[in-house]
Parts: sequence; structure tokens; C-alpha cells
Amino acid sequence: MTRLAWLLAVTCLLALGLGLGADSALADAKGAAPATTGPRPVHGLAPLPGDAPVPLADRPPGAFTGDGGPSPIIFPPQQLTVRFNHKKHVKELSLTCTTCHERAKTSTESRDSLLPKPTRCDACHGSDHRDLGAVKTDDDALISQCGFCHIGYQPGDGNKVARLVVPRPNLKMNHAAHVKRNIACSQCHGAVEKLELATRDQLPRMRGCFACHQMPGPARGEARGDCVNCHLTERGGVMKTRFDTGLLKPPQWLHDSGHGPDWIERHKQVAGNDSRMCSSCHQERFCTDCHDGRVRPRKVHPNDWISMHPTAARQNNPSCTSCHRQQTFCVSCHQRAGVSMSGPYANYSGRGRFHPPPSVWSSPPRSSQHHAWEAQRNMNACVSCHVERDCATCHAKVRRGGRGFGPDAPAGVGDSGFGGQGVNPHPRNFRDRCAGALRGNARPCLVCHDPRDPQLTECR
Amino acid sequence: MGLRRASLCFLTALTLPSPALAYEAEVSATSDAQFYTLRSPWGDPVVRRRRYTQSLALHVTDIQGDYVPFGPQLSFKARLRLDADFGKEGYERDPNLPGTFVPGLEQSPVDVMYAYLEGRNYLGGWVGFRAGRQYVTDALGWWSFDGGLVRLTTPAYFQVEAYAGYEQRGGMPMLLGTERYAGDGVYRGNRDELELNQYPYFLEESKLAPAYGVAVETLGVHWVHGRLSYRKVINRDRVVVSPFPDTGDGFERVGGDRISSERLGYSLRLNEPGLGAVRGSIVYDFYNQVVSERALATDWYTTETITLGADYDYYYPTFDGDSIWNWFTHSGMTTLLGRAEWRPSRRFDVVLSGGAKLFETEGDSGSYGTVEQTGADPDRSETGRLTDALANVAGRYRWSDGSVGLRGMTEAGRRGHRVGGDVTTTQGFGNGLYDTLAIVSLYDWEDGLRPSRSATSFSYVLGGGIRPFDETRFGVEWEHATNRLVGQRYRVLATLDLTVLR
Repeated sequence: MTRLAWLLAVTCLLALGLGLGADSALADAKGAAPATTGPRPVHGLAPLPGDAPVPLADRPPGAFTGDGGPSPIIFPPQQLTVRFNHKKHVKELSLTCTTCHERAKTSTESRDSLLPKPTRCDACHGSDHRDLGAVKTDDDALISQCGFCHIGYQPGDGNKVARLVVPRPNLKMNHAAHVKRNIACSQCHGAVEKLELATRDQLPRMRGCFACHQMPGPARGEARGDCVNCHLTERGGVMKTRFDTGLLKPPQWLHDSGHGPDWIERHKQVAGNDSRMCSSCHQERFCTDCHDGRVRPRKVHPNDWISMHPTAARQNNPSCTSCHRQQTFCVSCHQRAGVSMSGPYANYSGRGRFHPPPSVWSSPPRSSQHHAWEAQRNMNACVSCHVERDCATCHAKVRRGGRGFGPDAPAGVGDSGFGGQGVNPHPRNFRDRCAGALRGNARPCLVCHDPRDPQLTECR
Repeated sequence: MGLRRASLCFLTALTLPSPALAYEAEVSATSDAQFYTLRSPWGDPVVRRRRYTQSLALHVTDIQGDYVPFGPQLSFKARLRLDADFGKEGYERDPNLPGTFVPGLEQSPVDVMYAYLEGRNYLGGWVGFRAGRQYVTDALGWWSFDGGLVRLTTPAYFQVEAYAGYEQRGGMPMLLGTERYAGDGVYRGNRDELELNQYPYFLEESKLAPAYGVAVETLGVHWVHGRLSYRKVINRDRVVVSPFPDTGDGFERVGGDRISSERLGYSLRLNEPGLGAVRGSIVYDFYNQVVSERALATDWYTTETITLGADYDYYYPTFDGDSIWNWFTHSGMTTLLGRAEWRPSRRFDVVLSGGAKLFETEGDSGSYGTVEQTGADPDRSETGRLTDALANVAGRYRWSDGSVGLRGMTEAGRRGHRVGGDVTTTQGFGNGLYDTLAIVSLYDWEDGLRPSRSATSFSYVLGGGIRPFDETRFGVEWEHATNRLVGQRYRVLATLDLTVLR
């Protein structure tokens, strides 16, 4: 035991160390600035001078401290090779967002590039980008020089500038629809006018979208909260979750459904509460693979489960019943393997005894390991091997259907050799409930009681 | 000559250009082959599993015509499954061999897992429906029925759902059902080849069990979601009462409408993204007249990377209304867990949880045995309690094309323990063309009631797959387990997933 515990602890620490080490390496890579030569520009290289953190109030609605930016699955990493000072253009030069991003007014799809064309800069910067193969600049104006905006540009580079990469987001987005409803840019992108360079961090957060998108269907127009309203879909209308950038999973705060490492143990409550949300991403097959599956799911059952499952079933049986019907799945296999009181191998000569000896397990007086306690603690464990006959053999009160080991059974009747105890198996408050039981379904009563049994009459 | 002409005409007609159709169709198939062997705890019999499972699915979308955002949508989904085990021997299925016959064993059962037509956003978005074999998932569990469901979506932040039909059961005529969704506690199946006096404890499989339900659910508000559901299932078949062979008095049967299950459930979730969440559910079983399930979970989003929580779960076993076990003394079990989750990055997260599981009995098992009990109704005024301690750890680290995960657990109490864990690694190659899997496990368990069945197990799985086309994968897994009870055990699994038509 102790050695095993040490082994687990060491493995945990190794995994933790691996995770932290890899994360710091990732952070280092992310923080590396592009190499530049020549006079180092001061503005437009970061959201704020000196790469100071952007105040939360100026970030997009829904952002929070330490959120790491928007989802890299939805908004793939960008490569910004142009420095730009939004604050100067908007605050000092009194330009509006759509002066440069004019296509935002008409764009209906996320694949539309809303970055201004280089020619948009020419009017003020004195450059001429009409022919990108031979861009002209005004040699007398600093703001006209290629290196003024293009990071890393060297005078001898001619028309070669570093490539700007802004991948299309993995999302549906109709800017025109939002503009039409007078939704200001800042309602989704934050206070870009207060910043210099606008980075990925100014892209919308799903939490912010819900400020409007949480209305039920028929009454609220198109600002619905359905996942597929904004997320890309696959055939059949379910959300697309696999992208080149990774696997999309819900954040923790979204319906408290963060798919953490122990999600398999915790999903019941969330799925039982709102299964339609699950079906936004998952088809039926995803659920049936476990809940009605025919191949042992590794996420649920570890290796060598078949050897360990008897102990697990007695300790943790409610989990079994969420996928297995005991009187079909369990009993059938147990009968084949001879682990059953009724079945072909019940009296097999080579068969040993599954439970403790009768003196402990079934004979009076009750020991602390008597089967009654085990049945009371975890009835499902009994039901996964036994059939009704096994219990009725001793607990039936009357001879019915040609047998009976109850107090009124004739001596010698029976096919198993057990003597009848006639012990009342009912719980202590049974008399309060027996009338409802009899009225709702009399079959279980009649398995053990004669219809004229005075006790049944009392219940009626 | 005439036949050739007719064939030519037919082929020509097939190849004539036809107008473009709006709908999209997908046919997918999965095949799984498993080979392993199980041995009785006493060495004999040996059960060979030679399993082959095949499923075939059809999914047709946009049957209504061109897709219009928020407009009516009509789709059809179906999945058919063959679950064969060629290791099931003939002598196990022959009722004339009572020494080896296992009631209800079918070698190659076929079932329709689901098959339904679904409509959404009809009548201005107010009405949706489903017709056919379908699933319902809510606080009352994961369940399947054949019938119709209508959903009314209102602008007042709630929707109403009503459904009626027949519970999916194994004996449904012509409908290829399974017993998976029928209430538990009754051993039943196909008795076609059995005499009345053979295996009377094995009841005739039930056929049509009417079921209906209604649910009211909140909608559209993200910080709260509640669902109130009611469902009733009725047993209607005539079934034998006694599980014992007839010795001349004849078999008595019960018939008529009687409760299979009748339950009311409610679940609620409240969450505030900056604070945390509370989730709770409760289920009342009308037939058993008890609260059969209740749960409460709280999560406190302590920091952006840490979540602390506590879970309470109570489960009281209930069975189909035909089962005697509903009325045998038994208790619910309560699980209490504290939980801490740490997500320092998108790639790495780890969860620790620990707590206790409480079992109850009527009467104290520790002291009760000192009193001679020989048939008298025992004094059960005291409540005995037994507690198991639980602890779990789960963590994972992911990179672009692979991951490593750790899972560890222990559950220990007076009746024994389980402790162990496994490490799982996956790695893809060739831009997703190939994938590999390795799992190493070490578990130790002690069975307090059967010390001879205690063991330590070491096992590993090696697997790999190839995806030659999108949504097509062929994979193989090899599992090797070793413990003192079974010596060496091997298992081979081969899978093939295909999407053959779009």
C-alpha cells in the first residue's frame, strides 16, 4: 500500500513538473519580440507604451485578469508585423473606426478581411501602395517610409516586408448585422481608441457576447444564445469542435461545464440538467459509446477491470447502473462464468463458494458479515448476480407456484435444499408504504405472499 | 432481348441528370472486434469472448429544403447495431442442456439504437418535434422510448416538452429493442424455446410498455437553468408470479396496467462566471414513495486558475415495479467529496478530490450479531453506518498532437480497499495520419469479504491507428494484464470507423 502511494505521489509530481516546465517554455516563446535593427520605434508596437498591461475596462467585455486572451482555438495566433497607433489615429486625428475598417459595415462573414488595404494609408502617409510590387514613398516624410510602419524593414529590402498573418477566426460573424443594430465597435472590441497596437486580446470574448445573446428563440430576433448561432457547424447542425488549432471545449464558467480531467465523473449533473447544451457538440453516438456501449470505454474502466470489478461494484455501485442493466448485462455474464446462485453452474462440482461460509453469511445469528447487511448497504450488488428466486427461496412467506420454503411449506419440498427462514425482508417503515405499493403494482407482493394473506389484507 | 432493353432503360433512367437536392446525407459504419477470455474464479468454466459489433448509421439533414437560418429544419437520424459474440457456444443456448444453458443468451442480437425524424423551428420557431425511437436525458436518467415528443418554445424564458409512446424494451415486436432502458430488477428475455416449467424465474420479455412524460425547462438565460420532469412507465404484460417450477397447482400470473416506474425529478444550475456555481437535483419515486436521488454540488471559482468545490450525492436503489427488491430493506448511499481543480494553463490541469462514502443499515451490524435471531422480526430501530474513505487525482498535459494523463484513486473501508492509478499517453504522427496510445496501470485491491480474491494487478495497453481519409480510422489495441488471480490475460481490440457516403 505504502509503496503504491509513493509511486502515485512521485508520478503526480513528475507530471506536474512536466506541465509547468513546458508552460514556462511556451511563455518564453510567446514573449519573444521580432528582431529589429535600426532606430527602435517607441509607439505602436504594443497596446500600451512599454507593453504595459491593458486596464480591464479597456479590454473587450467579458475579458478578465489572467484569462490569457481569447480562445486560441477560435482566434488562431496572429503575426502582427505592422506597428500601429490606434489612439493617435482616433483621438488625435479624429478618425473613426470605419474610416480605415470600412468593410466592417458590409461584411457578413468571418472570412472577410476587415484590415484596411494599404492604399487606405496613402492619403495621409504620402505613400503609394497601388502597385505592391513597386510601392512608392515620399523620401522627405518620415511617416512615408516603409520602416515607419513595417516592423523589421531595412532600407535595402525594396518592396519586401514581413508578412502580416491574421488567420480567419473559427467562428460565424456578421459585422453588417451588428452595425445595422447600432452596436458600437467597442461593445465587442473594448476601448481600442485608447490603445496603440490592437492585438488578439481585443477580439471578443464569449462572455461578452452573452450580454445580448441570451434570449430564447422566437421572440428575440437573431441575437440568440444557441451555440450554433456563432460557432461553426458540421453536418447535422452540431458544433464543429476539431480545428487545426486544437479541440474546442467549453470554459469552466459556461454552465459550470469545464471539461476538466475528472469530467467523466462529474458530467452527470450537467447533462441531466441541460442535455440540449451537450447536444450542441455531441451526437448521440458520443453518449451511447459509454451508456449503451459494447466496447469497454477506457476513460471509465481502467485496465484489468474485469479482475477488479467485483470489489468496485460493491464499493461504488450507483456508477454501474448508469450504463449497465444488472439483470441483463451482469447476470448473463455471471451465469456463463458460474458466478451465480441460479444458473447452469450453480451446483457445479468444481465450483467453490463465492460468499463467506453459511455460518457467517446466511445462518443465524447474524454476524457483522451477514448478507443482510451487505444487501442493505448496496442492494445493486446483489441484483447484479442474483435472480428473484434466490431471495424468495428463503424470504417467501407462502408456498406459491409449486414451491415454498416459508413457514407453511411442506417438509422436503424444494429443489435447492435450503431451509425456509421466513424472515421479513421489508424495511421498518414498510407498513406506511405497503398500501401504495400494492395499489401501484401487486406483482412483487404476490411473489412471496398469498393473495389471501392477512398481511396483504392489512395493506389493502 | 427485351430484358436487355429494359435493363438499358433502367440504367439510363438512373444516370439521367436529376435536380439538385437540398438535403445532405451521411452513412457511417463502425466495426469493433474484441477477443479475450474470462475465467470463473474457480478456474472453470472458461468464457471465451469473440465479439464483433457492427453499427450502421444514417443521418439526413435539411430534408425541408434549403437551409434558412432560424427557419424550419427537418432531419432524420438512425443507427442499427449488430452485437455478435461468436464465443457463445451452442450448448449455452440449448435449453435442453440444463447443465450449461444460460437463459436469454443470444449470439447475434440486432437492435435499432435510435431512429427518429426531428423538426425544429416550426410555426415561427415555437414548435419542435421528434417522432420515432429517441433518447431523453434529464434528472430521471438516460432513457429511450418509441413515440412522439413535442416541444413548445416560448418567448418567456421557458419551454414545455411532452412525450408519449412505449419504453424501449427487448421484446418489442418488430422493433429490435434492447432491455438496456427497461427498469432493472427483473430477469427477463426471450422464452420462445422454453417450457413454462423451465426457468420460471426467467420472465417473458416485456413487449409494449406505455410511457409518457412532461417537462418544463428554462431557456435562454445563461446563469440559470432548471428542468422539472415527470415520467410514468406502465407494465402491461401478463407475467408469471412465482419464480419456482409448478408442481401441479398451475402458474399464477398478474396482468393489467401496473406501475413500472413513476418519478418526478428536478434539477437546477445557478452560476455566475466570476464567482462560481451551484448545481442540484432531486428525484422522487412515486412507486417506492422515497426520494431516490438527491445531489448538490458547489464550485467556487476561487481564482482564474483554481476552483474549489464540494459535492454531495445520495442514491437509493429503486427497481422496476415488478421487482421484489423494491421492498427488500435497503438503504441509500451518500457520497461527500471536496474538490480542488488547478488549471495553470490551457494545456495543463489537475484535480484532487477526497471524501467519504456512507452506507447505512437498519440495525447496527457491529452489535446485532451478539443477539440470537431465529426468525423473529429483528429490532431495527438503530441505524448502523459504515464509511469508506475516497481520494482521487486526475491530471493531464496536452500538446498539439499528443497528451499525457494521470488518474489515481483509492477507496478504502472496513470491507476492503482499492488503490491504484494509470498513466495514459497519446501521440499523433504525420499530421494526424497516425495515432498511438499507451496506458500503464497498477492497481491493488483487497476484498474484505473474500480475502482470497485480493490481488495486485499490473497491466498495459499499446495501441495505434491510421486515418487514411477524413473520418475513417482503423485501429488496433493490445492489452496485457497480470495478477495472481488470473496469471496473464490478453485482450485484442480492432476497430474500423468509416464514413462511406455523404
